[in-house]
Amino acid sequence: MSEKETTHFGYQEVEKDAKAGMVADVFHSVAARYDLMNDLMSGGIHRIWKRFTIELSGVRKKHSVLDIAGGTGDLAARFAEIVGPEGRVVLADINDSMLQVGRDKLLDKGRQGNIEFVQADAQFLPFPDDSFDCVTIAFGLRNVTDINLALHSMLRVLKPGGRLLVLEFSKPQNALLSKAYDTYSFRVLPVMGRLVTNDSESYQYLAESIRKHPDQGTLQGMMEDAGFCQCEYHNMTGGVVALHRGIKA
Amino acid sequence: MTTTIDPTLHTAMLAALEAGLNRGLNLSPQSKPGLARLEDSVFALHCTAPNLNIYLHPSAQGIRLTGIHHGPVTTSIRGEAADFTELAMSRDPTATLINGGLELEGDSAPLIALQQVLATLDIDWEAPLVSALGDIAGHQLAQTLRRGFSWSKQASAGLTRQLEEFIHEEARVSPPRLEVEDFYRDLQDLGLRVDRLQSRAERLRARLQKTRS
Repeated sequence: MSEKETTHFGYQEVEKDAKAGMVADVFHSVAARYDLMNDLMSGGIHRIWKRFTIELSGVRKKHSVLDIAGGTGDLAARFAEIVGPEGRVVLADINDSMLQVGRDKLLDKGRQGNIEFVQADAQFLPFPDDSFDCVTIAFGLRNVTDINLALHSMLRVLKPGGRLLVLEFSKPQNALLSKAYDTYSFRVLPVMGRLVTNDSESYQYLAESIRKHPDQGTLQGMMEDAGFCQCEYHNMTGGVVALHRGIKA
Repeated sequence: MTTTIDPTLHTAMLAALEAGLNRGLNLSPQSKPGLARLEDSVFALHCTAPNLNIYLHPSAQGIRLTGIHHGPVTTSIRGEAADFTELAMSRDPTATLINGGLELEGDSAPLIALQQVLATLDIDWEAPLVSALGDIAGHQLAQTLRRGFSWSKQASAGLTRQLEEFIHEEARVSPPRLEVEDFYRDLQDLGLRVDRLQSRAERLRARLQKTRS
C-alpha cells in the first residue's frame, strides 16, 4: 500500500488532501468575529501592517489587483479606492464564510463597481496568465497546503513587472521578544479565542501554524525558486510580521 | 527605497497624521475644490533631520500620506523639519521657498497651491458638535467657540501689530520691514554700480597698457 503525502496542520502531521478541509473548519468557525479578533489579538496593529503593504504595492489608478485570502476585505477596500473606477480589484478566498463576511462588509460600505468576489484556491487560481499588476496575500499563505504550488500560481497570473506581496507572521529577530511572543501566542491567544469566539482550538492552530511557517530567509528563497526576481522582505514589529515582495520578470 | 525607521512606527505615525489632517479638511469644506485641482499631483517631502520621507497624494477626498512612492513626483522638497515648519506656517510661501533652507525640485506652482489650501483651513466646528450634542447645545457651543476664535484671532493680530509698532516706532530697536527692503534694494543697486565701475576701470587700464606698449 502506498503512503499518502502529508503536510502540517499546526503541530500535527496530516494528509495533504485533508488540510484544506481542516483549515476551512477553522475559518468557518471564526469568520463572524474575525475582524474583532484581529483587532484584539494585534491591538489594532494589523491595520498598520496592511497599510504598509498597500504603500509597498505601488498600486496606482487603473491597476488590476488580486487579493488572495482576502478575508474580510481590508486590503481590497483600500485598493478599490486607489485603482478608481477604471481599475479592478478581485477579492479571492477559498473559504465561503470569510468571502461572505467580506462581501457583505464591503457592499455595506458602498464599495462596488470595481470589486469582484471570487471563491478560489491560491494553488489553482482561476485567472488567465498575466492578468494582474499586483497580487497580495495577507495572513493567508501559511494556511495554504502547498506554498510552492501557490507561489507558482501567483507568478502565472501576474503581468510581467507585476508585484507579489506576502504579508505573514514570521520569526521575531530578538530573543526576548521571541519569548514574550511565545507566551502570548500559546497562553493568551487561546483564552482570548475561547472568550470571544467560543473556540480556543482555532487560535491554538493559529499560534502553531505561525511557528511552522517558513522564516523570512526561507520564504524569500522559496519566492526566488518559484521564479520571482528582486525578492526582498521588510521586518515589522521586530520580525513578528514580515512583508515579502517579489517581482515577475 | 527603504525607510530607516521601523516600518510599523513610520506607518503608524503617517496614519495618525493623515487621520488628523483629513479630519481637519473634512471640517473645512471650502478646501476640497483646491485639493481636487491637485489630484494626480504627488509631493515628496524628504526630511533630512530627522531622516524621514513623506509623499502627499491630494485628491477631492483629502490627502493620502505614504512613506513610499515609486511613480513620478510633481514636486520634491528636501530640508530639515524646521524648514518645513517654516514653509507650512509662512504667509509668503514663495519667499520662504526662495530664501529658506529648502531645496526644491520640479514644479513649485502646485506646491504653493497646496500650501495655500492648508494654510487657509477654516474649520467649521458646528457639524461635529451638533451631531455629538444635538441641535441646540451643539449650535450654542459652536457659536461660543466661533466668537472665542474670532476674538483670539483679532486679539493676536492686534497684539502683533502693536508689538511691531513698539519695536519699530517707539523703541526703535529694528527698522520697519519696508525700510529694510528699501535699504537692501539700494545696497544691491550700489553693488551693481560698483561692479560696473570696476569693469570699466579694468577696461580703461587695459586700453592704457595697450597704448603705452
